Amino acid sequence: MPGNITTRVRELRQAGAGMTQQQLAKAVGVSRQTIIAIESGRYSPSLEVALKIARTFGHPVEAIFSLEDDAD
Amino acid sequence: MSSMSFQEKSAWGTLASLLVIGALYFSSVINLWRAEQLHMASMFGVSVGFTVLLVMILVGFHILVAAISGAEDEDERDRLIAWRSGHIGGIVLGFGVVSIVLMIIGGGMVDSTLWQSPVIIANALMAMVFIATVVELALTIWFHRRGI
Repeated sequence: MPGNITTRVRELRQAGAGMTQQQLAKAVGVSRQTIIAIESGRYSPSLEVALKIARTFGHPVEAIFSLEDDAD
Repeated sequence: MSSMSFQEKSAWGTLASLLVIGALYFSSVINLWRAEQLHMASMFGVSVGFTVLLVMILVGFHILVAAISGAEDEDERDRLIAWRSGHIGGIVLGFGVVSIVLMIIGGGMVDSTLWQSPVIIANALMAMVFIATVVELALTIWFHRRGI
């Protein structure tokens, strides 16, 4: 159902001091269920939410989200 | 249940309530029809009664869910799910309405009073609204569970 986008959201969230899904959800302005869906690949976020996630982690958006073809 | 959003819980509760009330309503209508007591007045009473009951159940359910887990604002994923499931539900409803129009026209062509009876047409429309709503709620749950 969802698109073929791979994500490093869970990896980056858990890196360092770690961040809960609830904390990330609040920082980005979505529900915790949406963060769960993004991490499990069941939802591809809008560009706005992707950019907010990238800003939260301090990484460029393409370092967090990529097309599956590009991962090869 | 804790991994469910408020919108998903709402869809589950509404779907379950609708299926129970819908089954009670249509079984009442069928019983009235078999007893040859299905008239507009009796149908009006049954439909108003079950609609009021459904509204009361849904209001109570949503108050309970909001009190236990808190109501949440919709985010972009919730809105996308609502739009997509509503869109498909609308197509189902449109298909159903066209089918009923064809039923009325067909009834006129074969001179059948049954298929042109206002009470049959009204219940056919009720059934289509019921089916379209069930499809919409089931898809809402599906998209929440399986992704969109």
